[in-house]
Amino acid sequence: MNFVWSRAAAMARKEWFHIRRDPFTMSLALVMPLVMVVIYGVAIDFNVKNVKLAVSDSDQTQASRRLIDTFSSSGYFRVRRDFSPGQALDDLVAERARAALIIPPQFEKNLWSGRTAEAQVLLDGADNSTVVPVSQYVNTIQTLASERIAGADMRPPYDLRTRFLFNPELNSRWFIIPGVVVVIMAILSIFLTAMTVAREWENGSMELLLSTPVEPIEIIVGKALPYASLGALAVVFVYIIARAAFGVPFRGHLWVFGLGCLIFLLTYLAQGLFISIASKQQTLAMQLSMLTGMMPSVILSGFVFPIASMPKFFWYFTMLLPARWFMVISRHCFLEGSSFLELAVPFAALSLSCLAMTALAAHKFKRTLE
Amino acid sequence: MNKTLLGFIKKELIQALRDPRMKYILFAAPIVEMTLFGVAISNEVKNIRLAAFFGANDYLVRDIYEHAIGGGWFIPARASGETAQDPFELVRSGDADAVLVPPEGGFTRALGRGDAQLQILVNATNVTQAQSVESYMKAIVAQTLADDLGLTPRPPPIKFDVRVLFNPSLDTAIFMVPGVMTMLMVLTTLILANIGIVREKEMGTFEMLISAPVSKSEVIFGKTLPYVLIGMTNLPLLLAIAMLVFHVPLRGSILALIAATVAFVCTTVAMGTLISTYCQNQQQASMASFLFMFPAIMFSGLIFPIENMPAAVQWLSFIDPLAHYLSLLRNIMLKGGGLQASAWHIGVLLILAAVSAAASFRRFRTTLS
Amino acid sequence: MNDETVVEARDLVVRYGDFTAVDRVTFTVGRGEIFGFLGANGAGKTTTIRVLCGVLPPTEGRVRVAGTGYEDGENAIKAKVGYMSQKFTLYNDLTVKENLDFIASLRKLDAAYYAKRRQEILELISFKKGLGAFVHELSGGTKQQVSLAAALLHDPEVVFLDEPTAGVTPAGRERFWALIRRVAESGKTVFVTTHYMDEAEQCGRIALMREGKLVAMDSPAGLKAAAFPEQVFEFEPIEELSFSRMTAFQNHEAFAFFEPYGHRFHAAAANAEAWRHWRPELEKTFRIRTIAPSLEDVFIRMVEDRP
Repeated sequence: MNFVWSRAAAMARKEWFHIRRDPFTMSLALVMPLVMVVIYGVAIDFNVKNVKLAVSDSDQTQASRRLIDTFSSSGYFRVRRDFSPGQALDDLVAERARAALIIPPQFEKNLWSGRTAEAQVLLDGADNSTVVPVSQYVNTIQTLASERIAGADMRPPYDLRTRFLFNPELNSRWFIIPGVVVVIMAILSIFLTAMTVAREWENGSMELLLSTPVEPIEIIVGKALPYASLGALAVVFVYIIARAAFGVPFRGHLWVFGLGCLIFLLTYLAQGLFISIASKQQTLAMQLSMLTGMMPSVILSGFVFPIASMPKFFWYFTMLLPARWFMVISRHCFLEGSSFLELAVPFAALSLSCLAMTALAAHKFKRTLE
Repeated sequence: MNKTLLGFIKKELIQALRDPRMKYILFAAPIVEMTLFGVAISNEVKNIRLAAFFGANDYLVRDIYEHAIGGGWFIPARASGETAQDPFELVRSGDADAVLVPPEGGFTRALGRGDAQLQILVNATNVTQAQSVESYMKAIVAQTLADDLGLTPRPPPIKFDVRVLFNPSLDTAIFMVPGVMTMLMVLTTLILANIGIVREKEMGTFEMLISAPVSKSEVIFGKTLPYVLIGMTNLPLLLAIAMLVFHVPLRGSILALIAATVAFVCTTVAMGTLISTYCQNQQQASMASFLFMFPAIMFSGLIFPIENMPAAVQWLSFIDPLAHYLSLLRNIMLKGGGLQASAWHIGVLLILAAVSAAASFRRFRTTLS
Repeated sequence: MNDETVVEARDLVVRYGDFTAVDRVTFTVGRGEIFGFLGANGAGKTTTIRVLCGVLPPTEGRVRVAGTGYEDGENAIKAKVGYMSQKFTLYNDLTVKENLDFIASLRKLDAAYYAKRRQEILELISFKKGLGAFVHELSGGTKQQVSLAAALLHDPEVVFLDEPTAGVTPAGRERFWALIRRVAESGKTVFVTTHYMDEAEQCGRIALMREGKLVAMDSPAGLKAAAFPEQVFEFEPIEELSFSRMTAFQNHEAFAFFEPYGHRFHAAAANAEAWRHWRPELEKTFRIRTIAPSLEDVFIRMVEDRP
């Protein structure tokens, strides 16, 4: 097999014409990264606030009112008044509230008589995204209320001080946007390659290409190149927005990040190619790239749901996913400023999966031709 | 029933179900994904790698550390124990997620002097994880001191009795399963409906279709009804996994669940059809579906709470069918809501379906131009 | 030509934005005719055919097909005609039966009528592969025959075929045209576009289109007579002709027309006087024979507009 650059370049040129003539794909490829970064940058915040709190105050005293004040002035909760515990519960069921505070009639009396004044807090356990943070807030407010209303000294005899490294203000964007880079690249590369190559199979032009003296490898390189460039362009795009608009720091080396991008891109291009050869049909290619490309790189890569929290099996299983490794590289490059050597393990794993995927795609391609 | 409609349904079902690979994608893949994602993902933070440095006689820090490891949230980091290392470097190199750093001379002695300070270094790259570490540690330290020194913190004069309704044991699967179900349902219906129509355009069979004296509604319903049917077959599959594998309860009425699912599938199929009127080929269709689905998942409240989003963005979740279906599933499966409690979301879904159907109707042509 | 008009187009105009695809086209086609449509790619053939079979309302002008038109409702024409579009119109992943079933349901054919009609139509195309055969297993020629059968399923008065034999083998094309003749003999009007001149010769009448305009319309013989009032000769070079010499001949004052035809040339004299003057000279290079012009000559002269 001899590889001729000019022929691969001709393929790439043809593919580029396809992309250019199709303003839809072109704009999608460029608009999508923008939309995703903006969505994440503007709309997503892990720091849960404005939780709707349904309050039923059967005590109606100064103490109970101050308790409600403590909730509303904390910034975590938005209070909504109800007349009875039953109504508060209804609000919770109908999702008019995520949490309910039920103050019993004897609340103030218990407080001043030295007994523990109890109030009930109900959380909507059907909503996975709020329960954990809200229960932490409730703890904080319990201490706060005890100090403020009852004047109790709740400070422990020691000082427990947490130092948040790399992201002292706990800005969720700093966590999410380096991950968005991974997701965008995964989607662009796997989708576009899988779909275009499947299209050539579906309408028979692949057979035409194969009947010419063009080597298969030239076809692959030629088809992949324009999409690789689009993917690379998207990364640059996201990088600029991340830095300029959202102030995400970049503490590592650009070349390390670039190298990671390149290997990752190659891996997913190969996977896209593999899918297209295996399916030879766009509908199927689309579904397969969704299932094997997009879903795992959003859900199992550690993008939002930490891998460490998954059952042991997944801790090993996700090792097969290039997105997991590139996620580590991207985050470390942005926030922690790790050197190439410190990232040796993810790099090795990523390169390994790249090699495996390329070999698999090439093998499948060759076998299909025979 | 209309002959043309029947013909369409038959043809679409044959086409969708003949290809064994397609059958796998339609029926086996949702089962596999549901099981996989149901097991894998949770919002709870676990297995945080903790390191601690303590002197030989600093037994309090050792106990805190052991308590933490024993509690299930933390696992030991590679470097730990009595050898002193730069804790910052330990976090930066990725060997530990959190490090306990006692004061000079040990925490135990400092506590005796009355100015005890215990520092926790946390890798705050992952915000949720960092916050969880802080709150776990607070509880663990207080507990350890109570056990070791009888240093029980004064009972707070005001105490909350916190109860998590509908999922008191905080079972992760019960949290996540409705979300995963929503995601998988939209994946099959929206894309299939969209691509099914665009494929006819791309292959040229669309011209044959419209050269027959068929009405717009026959083509539209003929192309979409089969996908509603296929989408509905996913419900029993996913429900079976949810109930048998994950023991997610179905507390509400099954009728409400079916009604909700029909409304949701109609909406996603109608939206897929609307998207298809803007696309000329399957590549465009898949990109467009994706461009729709990604924000739709984000604004559904599945991963991030809707309340948290800026008000300007929150209305997006109002027109997001996934948000409504997710609420419906949570309500019907976990809270035991009946048809009446679901009426609002089902109503919104039906309106969304009607609007998208009307819009696709307007855009759809049975003539060329 | 039959007296009864089945297809009528008057001052037909189709515009896409600024581009005029069909420009004031007027013609009529009678019952039982095989009417050929010839023209280069982009000349407006497909657009005209789409208008006539009811899928593309014209920008201006009037269309009557089988006694109805766009004014009678969106589906009026579609119900009366059969259409086989340029792109392949069967589903590859369905069997022949499934495809025909689907088309019957599109046209709401009654079950008994459909069963009878399917039998007839498959006999007409002498289809032997069995209804359970997948369309992707059929040869190119058979596929096109099945497509034609599909277009004829509801027994339309007129059938429009847009380049039905593109990509089919010569033997397959032969069979397909025998089929077209049989369909026309049964009283149906066949409206066909083609690139092949030998096929055009088999049409009763031919319309030539260029840049959206109808350039000429007549029987093949009539077209030849109209395009070549002068005598046409075939020139066979005695020895290989270089490209520059050929170009020189093409611009030679003796010829009104001089075009390569295989390794020979077809030519028409500019005028009798020049011809008399140059003929002895030319006979040194060519063997000259008198011939009747081919349709290809007509096409080149009228459509490609070479002098």
